[in-house]
Amino acid sequence: MAQVAVQEVSRHFGPVKALDNVTVDFADGGFYALLGPSGSGKTTLLRMIAGFDYPDSGHIRIAGEPVEAVSVEKREIGMMFQNYALFPNMTVFDNVAFGLSVRGVAKPEIARRVGEALELVHLTGFDKRKPHQLSGGQRQRVALARAIVTRPRVLLLDEPLSALDKSLRVEMQVELKRIQRDVAITTIFVTHDQEEALTLSDRIGILNEGRLVQEGPPLDIYERPRTAFAARFLGEANLFDITPGGAGGVSLGDGTMIRINGDTGAARQVAVRPEKMLLEPLSAPAPEGDSNVIQATVQQHIFAGSSLTYLLDWRDQQLKVFVQNRTGAVIGAGETVRLSWSPRDTVVLAG
Amino acid sequence: MAAVTETGAAHRRRAQRLTIFAMTGPAYLWLALTIFLPLSAMAYFSFLTDAPFGNKQAFLTLENYRAFFQEDFYRTLMLRSFRLGAEVTFYCFLFGFPCALVLAKTIRGRWREALFLLVILPFWSNALVRIFSWTMVLRGNGVLETLVNWILPGTGPLNLMFSYPAIIVGLVHSYIPYMILTCYLSLQAIDDSLIEAARSLGAGRLTVLRRLILPLAMPGIFAGAVLIFVPVVGSFMEPRILGGRNGTFIGTIIEDQFTAVFNWPLGAALSFIMLGIVLMILLIASPALRRMR
Amino acid sequence: MTRRRISLPAIGRVYLGLVLAFLYLPILVMAAMSFNSSKLYRLPIDWSTQWYVALAGNDKLIAAGTNSLIIAVVTTIIATALGTAVSLVFFRYRFRGKAVMQLLLFPPITIPWLIIGTAMLIFFFWVGIGRGLHAMILGHVALALPYVIVVVTARLHSFDPTLEEAARSLGAKAWQVSWRVTFPWIAPGLFAAALFAFAVSFDQFVISYFLAVPGVSTLPVEIYTSIRKGFTPEINAISTIIITFSMALLLGVARFYRFGGER
Repeated sequence: MAQVAVQEVSRHFGPVKALDNVTVDFADGGFYALLGPSGSGKTTLLRMIAGFDYPDSGHIRIAGEPVEAVSVEKREIGMMFQNYALFPNMTVFDNVAFGLSVRGVAKPEIARRVGEALELVHLTGFDKRKPHQLSGGQRQRVALARAIVTRPRVLLLDEPLSALDKSLRVEMQVELKRIQRDVAITTIFVTHDQEEALTLSDRIGILNEGRLVQEGPPLDIYERPRTAFAARFLGEANLFDITPGGAGGVSLGDGTMIRINGDTGAARQVAVRPEKMLLEPLSAPAPEGDSNVIQATVQQHIFAGSSLTYLLDWRDQQLKVFVQNRTGAVIGAGETVRLSWSPRDTVVLAG
Repeated sequence: MAAVTETGAAHRRRAQRLTIFAMTGPAYLWLALTIFLPLSAMAYFSFLTDAPFGNKQAFLTLENYRAFFQEDFYRTLMLRSFRLGAEVTFYCFLFGFPCALVLAKTIRGRWREALFLLVILPFWSNALVRIFSWTMVLRGNGVLETLVNWILPGTGPLNLMFSYPAIIVGLVHSYIPYMILTCYLSLQAIDDSLIEAARSLGAGRLTVLRRLILPLAMPGIFAGAVLIFVPVVGSFMEPRILGGRNGTFIGTIIEDQFTAVFNWPLGAALSFIMLGIVLMILLIASPALRRMR
Repeated sequence: MTRRRISLPAIGRVYLGLVLAFLYLPILVMAAMSFNSSKLYRLPIDWSTQWYVALAGNDKLIAAGTNSLIIAVVTTIIATALGTAVSLVFFRYRFRGKAVMQLLLFPPITIPWLIIGTAMLIFFFWVGIGRGLHAMILGHVALALPYVIVVVTARLHSFDPTLEEAARSLGAKAWQVSWRVTFPWIAPGLFAAALFAFAVSFDQFVISYFLAVPGVSTLPVEIYTSIRKGFTPEINAISTIIITFSMALLLGVARFYRFGGER
């Protein structure tokens, strides 16, 4: 177990900048998610930490030791692959034992540790099976057991749950979290699934076009996205163009003044999460206090049982609002409604 | 450490180049020594007056190529060889394509696998021995004569040995598995639902064959044709065994230059003319094929 | 069922049967004749194994057969080793010149053997390599190499490269990755490739014909010489043995390498 430090790492593939001066620290024992769309460089970064790729410039340290010149097999890492990459010619036992046996660990010791690892992932008794005789979830557990049995310093997960169907994925998220806590191993995982990143990790780094856009605990990033990209990639957001207008207030395009907390600086945009907006008919009593208020027209609603999503038109811009299904009634298309939200929920975006 | 860091990727690329070189070097060196250098040497020899061995003096000349263009003898034989190649290729297609069609589209499951294997099984067994086996069948008083007289009594003696048809039969037998194999591979790649779609649109069997199956199988037919035509043009062993005195082709003439007459430069020149014509035919044919697709 | 098919299955099957008869008739006739004691192949057959007995005493053919086996075994080992290395490089790396290297594998397959054989004869004679066993091995390996590369590459295509990465991430050194992960996967392909190489060499006539020297020849060359001299019935016997052997070999290949493509 160790801290991983990435310092000013860049990597080019021809004219394409896969990674552009990325610096990020992965805390010892932490569970860190690298989130980004495909082509954002997240997988390149993971593969560099693993040692399958090398930076053009910059440093990577594992437990303080520079590893740029250390090849994969000597880095003492554990990696779980997207397709699990279980050796098809070996049994579950041999798969898990592989890392120990190439290190020359004694047979009884191997048997003991493989047994422990399989117990940890709840696969005791499956040791004689071949990978093709396992279900998707079981394969994933084997891959996990194989990756951690060598007691690596870092556990790297490449889109670990993407091959599973939805219900199994949720179950495995819980499992993964439990196991990570049990073995207390520094874990870095790559995903394009924002929900997965929010659920599993205690820190998230958002990457876009080779750059680290924002980094921090999930709640921070969700509540205080720094850029439009971060706001829209992690969760959903209604974006408004603003013109700065004095202390504590800015004006939207149509001149409506809204209040914000703090200073806008040179910002040109604010974001409001769809669930933070209150949607009411115009007939309802006006909200009290310092709420921001605008009027919009309902275009369409999407019913999902416990909740509703409204798509609204505001000055030819589409807004989205999530509403809990409390009343059992729906506001029809074409009706004008009032949207209100607290200044606290108005997030100022940089750039 | 820091110096290594800066060139991490570059260092790796260098190591990779070395690995590639070390692993492919021996094989390609081998090919150079046994294929490419010999072909170059042959090209050189084709311009010599004599093989430069021992104390013999050899000069550069175009004589060997001129011989080909001046003497009807070589041209006739070259033409004969190409006609042989075309005929054998045609018969292989005529009889092989339906066979591939039956295999690919009407026979299913384990039977198909077994029959397919049966078809290509002779293909790897010794070509010389298979040609030789035809002499048992085709000779006078042989199996074919007995068989024909048994079906049609009174046909009388039938001796096909040492004739042009005998050469054709032997070569078609040798090379038809190529055509079946390549056609089968492209036919079985045709989705059955395409054929069903065509039928549902009112196309008859022949229309489906002409408008759909043949065009889609064209790459396979072409590949088979090339694999057959090229070696048949250069065949010499088959005409010798089955054709006897009627089996003189450009291939046998080239063989003679190397094993009997010992005029290596002429043999080399004839080889290159043959190779040149083959390549030209392939070049002319390939755009036509691309259009057909 | 039948109405949807393009050709009528019954006619198709009969046709297929006729083609198979055409393919196997001469071979079966030859095999039968090898057991006919009549030197003039008189029918009906007078069954006897005398030609096989005579074969056992034909030192020339036995020597040629031994040569054939030696050449085939050496060719198999060299061609499989060199070809597999090339396949691994084609599979693992992308690099400039790869397309050209792949294109260079075609000439040995597509140029008529007559031309390749005579070119080898000229070159080997010229530079002093000469003719004989070593020259034939040189030539056979060149012909077998492309086949080995094609077969092994086909097998590698079904191999998941992340398996190698997984093994490395678990601490396996390069040789451990190759030996414990890659090799077990491509082993059937290697075996098929080796059998291919053996068959290519063992059945090769044209190249051997030009590179053989009197006294050092292979079975096909010896058979050809006998046929042209006016053959003896022993040739039927040895031919039958060869063809049975080759077919058995191919059936072996088929166990490991799918020709049909479809599954």
